[in-house]
Amino acid sequence: MSLTILQPGAQMTLQGAPRIGTRHLGVPASGPADPLSMALANHLVGNACDATCIEITFGNAAIRFNTAASFALTGAPAAAALAGRAIAPHTAHTAQAGNELRIDGVGQGCRIYLSIAGTLATNAFLGSTSTYLPARLGGHEGRALKPGDQIAIAAPRSAPTIETPAEFRPICSNSYALRAVEGPDYVASQSGIWDETFTATQRASRMGLELEGRFPDPASASDIPSSAVFPGALQLPPGGHGFLLLADGQTTGGYPHILQVVRADRHILGQIRPGDRIRFLQRTHAQATEALRAKQALLAGWLPEFSL
Amino acid sequence: MNEPDILFSGDDALRVLLSDRATRIARASQLRQSGDWLEVVPGRQDVTVQFDPIRLTPAEAMAHLRLTLATPPPPTRHATRTIDIPVRFGGSDGPDLAMIAESLGVTEPDIVSQLLAQPLRVDMLGFTPGFAYMTGLEEHYVIPRLLQPRQQVPAGSIGLITGQCGLYALAGPGGWPIIGRALASLFDPASADPFILQPGLQVRLVDSSKA
Repeated sequence: MSLTILQPGAQMTLQGAPRIGTRHLGVPASGPADPLSMALANHLVGNACDATCIEITFGNAAIRFNTAASFALTGAPAAAALAGRAIAPHTAHTAQAGNELRIDGVGQGCRIYLSIAGTLATNAFLGSTSTYLPARLGGHEGRALKPGDQIAIAAPRSAPTIETPAEFRPICSNSYALRAVEGPDYVASQSGIWDETFTATQRASRMGLELEGRFPDPASASDIPSSAVFPGALQLPPGGHGFLLLADGQTTGGYPHILQVVRADRHILGQIRPGDRIRFLQRTHAQATEALRAKQALLAGWLPEFSL
Repeated sequence: MNEPDILFSGDDALRVLLSDRATRIARASQLRQSGDWLEVVPGRQDVTVQFDPIRLTPAEAMAHLRLTLATPPPPTRHATRTIDIPVRFGGSDGPDLAMIAESLGVTEPDIVSQLLAQPLRVDMLGFTPGFAYMTGLEEHYVIPRLLQPRQQVPAGSIGLITGQCGLYALAGPGGWPIIGRALASLFDPASADPFILQPGLQVRLVDSSKA
Protein backbone atom coordinates (compact mmCIF):
# COMPACT_ATOMS: atom_id res chain seq x y z
CA MET A 1 0.00 0.00 0.00
CA SER A 2 1.79 3.07 -1.20
CA LEU A 3 1.92 5.94 -3.62
CA THR A 4 4.69 6.71 -6.10
CA ILE A 5 6.01 10.16 -6.92
CA LEU A 6 6.04 10.61 -10.70
CA GLN A 7 6.81 14.32 -10.88
CA PRO A 8 7.63 16.40 -7.78
CA GLY A 9 7.33 19.90 -9.28
CA ALA A 10 9.63 22.64 -7.95
CA GLN A 11 9.70 21.12 -4.46
CA MET A 12 7.70 18.38 -2.79
CA THR A 13 8.13 17.50 0.90
CA LEU A 14 6.30 15.63 3.62
CA GLN A 15 5.08 17.94 6.37
CA GLY A 16 3.13 17.18 9.54
CA ALA A 17 2.93 18.79 12.96
CA PRO A 18 5.48 21.52 13.63
CA ARG A 19 8.20 20.83 16.22
CA ILE A 20 7.29 22.70 19.39
CA GLY A 21 9.75 23.26 22.23
CA THR A 22 12.90 22.56 20.20
CA ARG A 23 14.07 26.06 19.24
CA HIS A 24 16.60 26.15 22.10
CA LEU A 25 18.34 23.27 20.29
CA GLY A 26 18.51 25.33 17.11
CA VAL A 27 15.77 23.14 15.60
CA PRO A 28 13.04 25.21 13.91
CA ALA A 29 9.34 24.27 13.81
CA SER A 30 9.11 23.18 10.16
CA GLY A 31 5.66 21.77 9.35
CA PRO A 32 3.45 23.22 6.61
CA ALA A 33 4.33 26.71 5.40
CA ASP A 34 0.53 27.27 5.26
CA PRO A 35 -0.85 25.29 8.23
CA LEU A 36 -4.45 26.39 7.64
CA SER A 37 -4.53 24.92 4.14
CA MET A 38 -2.98 21.68 5.39
CA ALA A 39 -5.56 21.41 8.18
CA LEU A 40 -8.36 21.94 5.62
CA ALA A 41 -6.93 19.16 3.41
CA ASN A 42 -6.70 16.76 6.35
CA HIS A 43 -10.19 17.56 7.58
CA LEU A 44 -11.72 16.63 4.20
CA VAL A 45 -10.37 13.07 4.46
CA GLY A 46 -11.04 12.59 8.17
CA ASN A 47 -7.41 12.90 9.33
CA ALA A 48 -6.17 14.85 12.35
CA CYS A 49 -5.44 18.49 11.38
CA ASP A 50 -1.69 17.96 11.54
CA ALA A 51 -1.48 14.50 9.93
CA THR A 52 1.41 14.24 7.49
CA CYS A 53 0.59 15.66 4.04
CA ILE A 54 2.49 16.27 0.81
CA GLU A 55 3.41 19.94 0.37
CA ILE A 56 3.84 20.84 -3.31
CA THR A 57 5.44 24.15 -4.29
CA PHE A 58 4.05 25.74 -7.49
CA GLY A 59 2.25 22.52 -8.60
CA ASN A 60 3.31 20.80 -11.86
CA ALA A 61 3.30 17.51 -10.04
CA ALA A 62 2.06 13.97 -10.49
CA ILE A 63 1.70 10.92 -8.28
CA ARG A 64 0.36 7.39 -8.75
CA PHE A 65 -1.81 5.64 -6.19
CA ASN A 66 -0.74 2.00 -5.81
CA THR A 67 -3.68 1.36 -3.52
CA ALA A 68 -7.21 2.75 -3.28
CA ALA A 69 -7.39 5.76 -0.94
CA SER A 70 -9.27 9.03 -0.57
CA PHE A 71 -7.40 12.30 -0.90
CA ALA A 72 -7.98 16.06 -1.11
CA LEU A 73 -6.17 19.10 -2.51
CA THR A 74 -6.14 22.55 -0.90
CA GLY A 75 -3.91 25.63 -0.87
CA ALA A 76 -2.85 27.45 -4.04
CA PRO A 77 -5.47 26.82 -6.75
CA ALA A 78 -4.40 24.63 -9.70
CA ALA A 79 -6.25 22.49 -12.20
CA ALA A 80 -5.97 18.79 -11.38
CA ALA A 81 -7.07 15.49 -12.90
CA LEU A 82 -7.45 11.96 -11.52
CA ALA A 83 -7.10 9.22 -14.15
CA GLY A 84 -7.63 11.90 -16.80
CA ARG A 85 -10.82 13.37 -15.33
CA ALA A 86 -10.79 16.91 -13.93
CA ILE A 87 -11.32 17.11 -10.18
CA ALA A 88 -12.12 20.05 -7.90
CA PRO A 89 -9.99 21.27 -5.00
CA HIS A 90 -11.38 21.40 -1.45
CA THR A 91 -13.23 18.16 -2.08
CA ALA A 92 -12.56 14.59 -0.92
CA HIS A 93 -12.02 12.23 -3.87
CA THR A 94 -11.24 8.51 -3.95
CA ALA A 95 -8.47 7.12 -6.14
CA GLN A 96 -8.36 3.48 -7.26
CA ALA A 97 -5.14 1.48 -7.32
CA GLY A 98 -3.17 2.50 -10.42
CA ASN A 99 -4.82 5.93 -10.80
CA GLU A 100 -2.57 8.87 -11.58
CA LEU A 101 -3.19 12.29 -10.05
CA ARG A 102 -1.86 15.16 -12.16
CA ILE A 103 -1.70 18.72 -10.87
CA ASP A 104 -1.05 21.73 -13.11
CA GLY A 105 1.02 24.79 -12.24
CA VAL A 106 -0.42 27.34 -9.82
CA GLY A 107 -1.47 30.79 -11.07
CA GLN A 108 -1.72 32.51 -7.73
CA GLY A 109 -0.37 31.45 -4.36
CA CYS A 110 2.56 29.12 -3.85
CA ARG A 111 1.86 25.81 -2.09
CA ILE A 112 -0.63 22.99 -2.59
CA TYR A 113 -1.44 20.45 0.14
CA LEU A 114 -2.33 16.87 -0.75
CA SER A 115 -3.84 14.89 2.11
CA ILE A 116 -4.29 11.12 1.98
CA ALA A 117 -6.86 9.26 4.12
CA GLY A 118 -4.45 7.09 6.07
CA THR A 119 -0.95 7.52 7.49
CA LEU A 120 2.07 8.28 5.30
CA ALA A 121 5.30 6.54 6.33
CA THR A 122 7.96 8.98 7.55
CA ASN A 123 11.20 9.23 9.51
CA ALA A 124 10.13 11.23 12.56
CA PHE A 125 12.67 13.42 14.33
CA LEU A 126 12.09 14.89 17.82
CA GLY A 127 8.50 13.72 17.73
CA SER A 128 7.54 15.29 14.40
CA THR A 129 7.29 13.91 10.87
CA SER A 130 7.97 17.28 9.21
CA THR A 131 10.87 17.60 6.78
CA TYR A 132 13.60 20.12 7.57
CA LEU A 133 15.65 20.17 4.39
CA PRO A 134 18.78 22.14 5.46
CA ALA A 135 19.76 19.49 8.02
CA ARG A 136 18.02 16.55 6.30
CA LEU A 137 15.73 15.78 9.23
CA GLY A 138 12.26 14.18 9.34
CA GLY A 139 9.97 13.48 6.39
CA HIS A 140 11.23 11.01 3.78
CA GLU A 141 14.96 10.56 4.45
CA GLY A 142 15.07 14.25 5.37
CA ARG A 143 14.93 15.29 1.74
CA ALA A 144 12.62 16.59 -0.97
CA LEU A 145 10.74 13.88 -2.84
CA LYS A 146 11.93 12.87 -6.29
CA PRO A 147 10.55 10.82 -9.18
CA GLY A 148 10.31 7.13 -8.30
CA ASP A 149 10.05 7.62 -4.52
CA GLN A 150 7.51 5.30 -2.96
CA ILE A 151 5.74 6.45 0.18
CA ALA A 152 3.98 3.69 2.11
CA ILE A 153 0.43 4.39 3.28
CA ALA A 154 -0.67 2.66 6.47
CA ALA A 155 -4.40 2.00 6.88
CA PRO A 156 -5.63 3.74 3.71
CA ARG A 157 -9.33 4.57 3.89
CA SER A 158 -12.11 5.69 1.69
CA ALA A 159 -13.67 8.91 2.98
CA PRO A 160 -17.15 10.28 2.25
CA THR A 161 -17.28 13.02 -0.40
CA ILE A 162 -17.37 16.33 1.43
CA GLU A 163 -16.33 19.84 0.43
CA THR A 164 -14.88 22.79 2.33
CA PRO A 165 -17.71 25.33 2.69
CA ALA A 166 -17.05 28.41 0.55
CA GLU A 167 -16.61 30.72 3.55
CA PHE A 168 -13.71 28.63 4.86
CA ARG A 169 -11.68 28.57 1.63
CA PRO A 170 -8.69 30.95 1.91
CA ILE A 171 -8.17 33.18 -1.12
CA CYS A 172 -4.78 33.42 -2.80
CA SER A 173 -3.88 36.76 -4.35
CA ASN A 174 -0.84 38.59 -5.69
CA SER A 175 -1.13 41.28 -3.06
CA TYR A 176 -1.29 40.78 0.70
CA ALA A 177 -1.90 43.10 3.67
CA LEU A 178 -0.35 41.46 6.71
CA ARG A 179 -1.12 42.62 10.24
CA ALA A 180 2.08 43.21 12.21
CA VAL A 181 3.36 44.64 15.49
CA GLU A 182 6.59 46.51 16.16
CA GLY A 183 9.58 44.22 16.68
CA PRO A 184 12.11 44.61 19.52
CA ASP A 185 14.49 46.64 17.32
CA TYR A 186 11.83 48.98 15.88
CA VAL A 187 12.23 52.71 16.53
CA ALA A 188 9.73 55.51 15.91
CA SER A 189 11.80 57.00 13.06
CA GLN A 190 11.02 53.85 11.05
CA SER A 191 7.27 54.59 10.90
CA GLY A 192 7.47 55.03 7.12
CA ILE A 193 7.48 51.23 6.83
CA TRP A 194 3.70 51.19 7.43
CA ASP A 195 3.11 53.21 4.24
CA GLU A 196 5.33 51.27 1.87
CA THR A 197 4.52 48.41 -0.48
CA PHE A 198 7.19 45.69 -0.70
CA THR A 199 7.77 42.99 -3.32
CA ALA A 200 8.83 39.39 -2.68
CA THR A 201 12.05 38.60 -4.58
CA GLN A 202 13.18 35.30 -6.12
CA ARG A 203 14.93 34.46 -2.85
CA ALA A 204 11.97 32.60 -1.42
CA SER A 205 11.98 29.24 0.33
CA ARG A 206 10.55 27.50 3.36
CA MET A 207 13.18 29.38 5.42
CA GLY A 208 11.96 32.81 4.48
CA LEU A 209 11.08 35.48 1.96
CA GLU A 210 13.33 38.30 0.87
CA LEU A 211 11.41 41.57 0.36
CA GLU A 212 12.55 44.54 -1.65
CA GLY A 213 11.29 48.09 -1.36
CA ARG A 214 12.08 51.19 0.63
CA PHE A 215 13.07 49.84 4.03
CA PRO A 216 14.03 52.31 6.76
CA ASP A 217 17.64 52.41 7.93
CA PRO A 218 18.28 50.03 10.81
CA ALA A 219 18.56 52.01 14.05
CA SER A 220 20.94 49.54 15.65
CA ALA A 221 24.20 48.07 14.44
CA SER A 222 23.71 45.24 11.98
CA ASP A 223 25.51 42.82 14.29
CA ILE A 224 23.60 42.70 17.57
CA PRO A 225 23.84 39.85 20.12
CA SER A 226 21.98 36.81 18.77
CA SER A 227 18.50 36.46 20.18
CA ALA A 228 15.48 34.25 19.52
CA VAL A 229 13.44 34.85 16.37
CA PHE A 230 10.25 33.08 15.27
CA PRO A 231 8.36 32.68 12.00
CA GLY A 232 6.82 36.03 11.07
CA ALA A 233 9.90 38.04 12.13
CA LEU A 234 10.96 40.71 9.65
CA GLN A 235 14.70 41.29 9.92
CA LEU A 236 16.86 43.89 8.22
CA PRO A 237 20.21 42.38 7.21
CA PRO A 238 22.84 44.65 5.62
CA GLY A 239 22.12 45.24 1.96
CA GLY A 240 18.78 47.02 2.20
CA HIS A 241 16.40 44.09 1.72
CA GLY A 242 14.11 42.74 4.41
CA PHE A 243 13.91 39.05 5.29
CA LEU A 244 10.67 37.56 6.60
CA LEU A 245 11.04 34.20 8.38
CA LEU A 246 8.86 31.17 7.60
CA ALA A 247 8.39 27.69 9.10
CA ASP A 248 12.02 26.59 8.53
CA GLY A 249 13.49 29.95 9.59
CA GLN A 250 16.55 30.02 11.83
CA THR A 251 15.90 29.96 15.58
CA THR A 252 18.16 32.86 16.58
CA GLY A 253 19.38 35.89 14.69
CA GLY A 254 21.62 38.90 15.05
CA TYR A 255 20.02 41.29 12.54
CA PRO A 256 17.65 44.09 13.59
CA HIS A 257 14.16 42.59 14.06
CA ILE A 258 11.86 45.47 13.24
CA LEU A 259 8.41 43.96 12.67
CA GLN A 260 6.62 40.78 13.60
CA VAL A 261 3.71 39.52 11.50
CA VAL A 262 0.99 38.62 14.02
CA ARG A 263 0.25 35.01 14.84
CA ALA A 264 -3.24 35.27 13.29
CA ASP A 265 -1.78 36.03 9.84
CA ARG A 266 1.35 33.85 9.74
CA HIS A 267 -0.39 31.04 7.83
CA ILE A 268 -0.66 33.44 4.88
CA LEU A 269 3.15 33.69 4.53
CA GLY A 270 3.33 30.20 3.01
CA GLN A 271 1.34 31.35 -0.03
CA ILE A 272 3.46 34.40 -0.93
CA ARG A 273 5.42 33.91 -4.15
CA PRO A 274 8.13 35.95 -5.88
CA GLY A 275 6.64 39.12 -7.35
CA ASP A 276 3.75 39.34 -4.87
CA ARG A 277 3.21 42.71 -3.19
CA ILE A 278 3.08 43.08 0.59
CA ARG A 279 1.97 45.81 2.94
CA PHE A 280 2.12 45.76 6.72
CA LEU A 281 -0.82 46.96 8.81
CA GLN A 282 0.19 48.31 12.21
CA ARG A 283 -1.48 46.68 15.20
CA THR A 284 -0.98 46.81 18.96
CA HIS A 285 -0.29 43.65 20.97
CA ALA A 286 -3.86 43.72 22.31
CA GLN A 287 -5.28 44.07 18.78
CA ALA A 288 -3.10 41.17 17.62
CA THR A 289 -4.55 38.95 20.36
CA GLU A 290 -8.12 40.02 19.46
CA ALA A 291 -7.43 39.25 15.79
CA LEU A 292 -6.12 35.80 16.68
CA ARG A 293 -9.05 34.97 18.92
CA ALA A 294 -11.57 36.21 16.33
CA LYS A 295 -10.01 34.15 13.51
CA GLN A 296 -9.70 31.10 15.75
CA ALA A 297 -13.40 31.37 16.76
CA LEU A 298 -14.42 31.64 13.10
CA LEU A 299 -12.35 28.62 12.04
CA ALA A 300 -13.74 26.55 14.93
CA GLY A 301 -16.99 26.36 12.93
CA TRP A 302 -15.27 23.97 10.46
CA LEU A 303 -11.94 22.96 12.08
CA PRO A 304 -12.74 22.59 15.79
CA GLU A 305 -9.35 21.07 16.61
CA PHE A 306 -7.12 23.42 14.63
CA SER A 307 -5.22 26.22 16.32
CA LEU A 308 -3.35 28.98 14.56
CA MET B 1 17.57 40.66 43.40
CA ASN B 2 16.98 43.39 40.82
CA GLU B 3 14.05 42.84 38.48
CA PRO B 4 15.36 42.11 34.99
CA ASP B 5 14.11 44.17 32.06
CA ILE B 6 11.48 42.49 29.90
CA LEU B 7 10.42 43.56 26.44
CA PHE B 8 8.04 42.23 23.82
CA SER B 9 9.46 40.40 20.83
CA GLY B 10 6.37 40.51 18.65
CA ASP B 11 2.78 39.75 19.67
CA ASP B 12 3.43 36.37 21.28
CA ALA B 13 6.94 36.44 22.76
CA LEU B 14 8.69 38.17 25.67
CA ARG B 15 12.40 38.73 26.06
CA VAL B 16 14.09 38.86 29.48
CA LEU B 17 17.45 40.63 29.45
CA LEU B 18 20.02 38.62 31.43
CA SER B 19 23.65 39.38 30.74
CA ASP B 20 25.15 36.76 33.08
CA ARG B 21 25.53 33.31 31.49
CA ALA B 22 24.91 31.27 34.66
CA THR B 23 21.75 33.27 35.47
CA ARG B 24 20.55 32.90 31.91
CA ILE B 25 20.97 29.13 31.98
CA ALA B 26 19.30 28.80 35.39
CA ARG B 27 16.37 31.01 34.33
CA ALA B 28 15.93 29.16 31.03
CA SER B 29 15.78 25.88 32.90
CA GLN B 30 13.29 27.29 35.43
CA LEU B 31 11.06 28.71 32.69
CA ARG B 32 11.16 25.48 30.67
CA GLN B 33 10.28 23.37 33.71
CA SER B 34 7.27 25.57 34.50
CA GLY B 35 5.55 24.23 31.37
CA ASP B 36 3.90 27.64 30.86
CA TRP B 37 5.65 28.55 27.61
CA LEU B 38 5.62 27.15 24.07
CA GLU B 39 9.32 27.88 23.63
CA VAL B 40 12.10 29.01 25.97
CA VAL B 41 15.09 30.13 23.91
CA PRO B 42 18.30 31.52 25.42
CA GLY B 43 20.15 34.14 23.38
CA ARG B 44 23.59 35.60 24.02
CA GLN B 45 22.25 38.27 26.38
CA ASP B 46 18.66 37.21 27.06
CA VAL B 47 16.06 34.46 27.30
CA THR B 48 12.94 34.65 25.11
CA VAL B 49 9.68 32.87 25.90
CA GLN B 50 6.88 32.34 23.40
CA PHE B 51 3.26 32.11 24.61
CA ASP B 52 -0.08 31.17 23.10
CA PRO B 53 -2.28 34.31 22.96
CA ILE B 54 -5.38 32.09 22.87
CA ARG B 55 -4.57 31.16 26.48
CA LEU B 56 -2.88 34.33 27.76
CA THR B 57 -3.25 37.95 26.67
CA PRO B 58 0.07 39.79 26.27
CA ALA B 59 -0.57 41.61 29.57
CA GLU B 60 -1.32 38.33 31.35
CA ALA B 61 1.81 36.73 29.89
CA MET B 62 3.93 39.66 31.09
CA ALA B 63 2.45 39.48 34.61
CA HIS B 64 2.94 35.73 34.72
CA LEU B 65 6.57 36.01 33.61
CA ARG B 66 7.28 38.66 36.25
CA LEU B 67 5.78 36.43 38.89
CA THR B 68 8.01 33.51 37.89
CA LEU B 69 11.08 35.73 37.83
CA ALA B 70 10.27 36.99 41.34
CA THR B 71 11.10 33.45 42.56
CA PRO B 72 14.81 32.64 42.47
CA PRO B 73 15.65 29.80 40.08
CA PRO B 74 16.25 26.44 41.76
CA PRO B 75 19.99 25.86 42.24
CA THR B 76 21.55 23.79 39.46
CA ARG B 77 22.04 20.34 40.86
CA HIS B 78 25.06 19.12 38.99
CA ALA B 79 28.59 20.46 38.90
CA THR B 80 29.64 21.89 35.54
CA ARG B 81 30.42 19.05 33.17
CA THR B 82 33.47 19.12 30.93
CA ILE B 83 33.78 17.06 27.77
CA ASP B 84 36.83 16.49 25.60
CA ILE B 85 36.44 16.78 21.84
CA PRO B 86 39.31 15.63 19.62
CA VAL B 87 39.86 18.04 16.74
CA ARG B 88 41.90 18.09 13.53
CA PHE B 89 43.03 21.68 13.00
CA GLY B 90 43.92 23.35 9.70
CA GLY B 91 44.36 21.74 6.30
CA SER B 92 41.23 20.60 4.52
CA ASP B 93 39.45 20.28 7.89
CA GLY B 94 40.15 23.91 8.76
CA PRO B 95 40.49 25.72 5.44
CA ASP B 96 40.43 29.22 6.97
CA LEU B 97 43.00 28.72 9.77
CA ALA B 98 45.95 29.91 7.66
CA MET B 99 44.04 33.03 6.52
CA ILE B 100 43.09 33.93 10.11
CA ALA B 101 46.66 33.44 11.35
CA GLU B 102 48.01 35.62 8.56
CA SER B 103 45.49 38.42 9.15
CA LEU B 104 46.30 38.43 12.89
CA GLY B 105 50.06 38.26 12.29
CA VAL B 106 50.47 35.06 14.32
CA THR B 107 51.15 31.41 13.46
CA GLU B 108 48.56 28.63 13.13
CA PRO B 109 49.91 26.81 16.23
CA ASP B 110 49.60 30.11 18.19
CA ILE B 111 45.86 30.20 17.51
CA VAL B 112 45.39 26.52 18.29
CA SER B 113 47.34 26.70 21.55
CA GLN B 114 45.39 29.79 22.69
CA LEU B 115 42.13 28.00 21.98
CA LEU B 116 43.30 24.90 23.86
CA ALA B 117 44.63 26.89 26.82
CA GLN B 118 41.35 26.76 28.73
CA PRO B 119 38.00 24.99 28.36
CA LEU B 120 35.40 26.80 26.23
CA ARG B 121 31.92 27.44 27.63
CA VAL B 122 28.78 26.74 25.60
CA ASP B 123 26.61 29.89 25.66
CA MET B 124 23.63 28.70 23.65
CA LEU B 125 22.51 26.52 20.77
CA GLY B 126 20.84 28.28 17.90
CA PHE B 127 20.70 29.46 14.33
CA THR B 128 20.65 25.91 12.90
CA PRO B 129 20.17 22.53 14.63
CA GLY B 130 22.78 21.96 17.31
CA PHE B 131 25.03 24.88 16.34
CA ALA B 132 26.82 25.72 19.61
CA TYR B 133 27.91 29.28 20.35
CA MET B 134 30.94 29.04 22.68
CA THR B 135 33.49 31.38 24.16
CA GLY B 136 36.51 31.83 21.92
CA LEU B 137 39.74 33.81 21.73
CA GLU B 138 40.26 37.12 23.52
CA GLU B 139 38.20 39.91 21.96
CA HIS B 140 41.29 41.80 20.76
CA TYR B 141 41.73 39.15 18.07
CA VAL B 142 39.39 40.60 15.47
CA ILE B 143 38.10 37.83 13.18
CA PRO B 144 35.28 38.85 10.84
CA ARG B 145 32.70 36.49 9.36
CA LEU B 146 33.27 35.30 5.80
CA LEU B 147 32.13 37.83 3.19
CA GLN B 148 30.49 35.01 1.27
CA PRO B 149 28.93 32.33 3.53
CA ARG B 150 29.56 28.73 2.45
CA GLN B 151 26.55 26.81 1.15
CA GLN B 152 27.70 23.71 2.97
CA VAL B 153 30.16 23.12 5.79
CA PRO B 154 30.72 19.53 7.03
CA ALA B 155 29.28 18.30 10.33
CA GLY B 156 31.72 18.86 13.19
CA SER B 157 33.28 21.97 11.66
CA ILE B 158 34.66 24.50 14.12
CA GLY B 159 34.29 28.17 13.29
CA LEU B 160 36.01 31.17 14.83
CA ILE B 161 34.90 34.83 14.92
CA THR B 162 35.81 37.64 17.28
CA GLY B 163 35.31 36.44 20.86
CA GLN B 164 33.44 33.31 19.85
CA CYS B 165 33.96 29.78 18.72
CA GLY B 166 31.13 27.88 17.02
CA LEU B 167 30.59 24.17 16.51
CA TYR B 168 28.44 22.90 13.64
CA ALA B 169 26.72 19.72 14.92
CA LEU B 170 25.27 19.05 11.46
CA ALA B 171 26.31 19.84 7.93
CA GLY B 172 24.71 23.02 6.62
CA PRO B 173 25.33 26.55 5.43
CA GLY B 174 27.87 28.53 7.46
CA GLY B 175 29.33 32.02 7.53
CA TRP B 176 32.07 31.55 10.14
CA PRO B 177 35.69 30.96 9.08
CA ILE B 178 36.42 27.26 9.68
CA ILE B 179 39.59 26.30 11.57
CA GLY B 180 39.14 22.59 12.21
CA ARG B 181 36.82 19.66 12.53
CA ALA B 182 35.70 17.61 15.53
CA LEU B 183 36.35 13.90 15.18
CA ALA B 184 33.54 13.00 17.59
CA SER B 185 29.89 12.90 16.50
CA LEU B 186 27.90 15.70 18.13
CA PHE B 187 24.49 14.45 17.02
CA ASP B 188 22.48 11.30 17.72
CA PRO B 189 19.20 11.51 15.77
CA ALA B 190 17.67 8.55 17.63
CA SER B 191 18.11 10.12 21.08
CA ALA B 192 15.43 12.18 22.83
CA ASP B 193 18.32 14.55 23.57
CA PRO B 194 19.98 14.44 20.13
CA PHE B 195 22.65 17.12 20.58
CA ILE B 196 25.71 16.41 22.75
CA LEU B 197 26.46 20.08 23.50
CA GLN B 198 24.26 21.99 25.96
CA PRO B 199 24.43 25.54 27.35
CA GLY B 200 26.77 25.77 30.33
CA LEU B 201 28.80 22.72 29.31
CA GLN B 202 32.59 23.14 29.26
CA VAL B 203 34.32 21.89 26.15
CA ARG B 204 38.00 21.03 26.10
CA LEU B 205 39.26 20.84 22.52
CA VAL B 206 42.08 18.31 22.09
CA ASP B 207 44.52 18.53 19.18
CA SER B 208 44.25 15.06 17.62
CA SER B 209 47.71 15.35 16.04
CA LYS B 210 49.20 15.50 19.55
CA ALA B 211 46.99 12.87 21.16
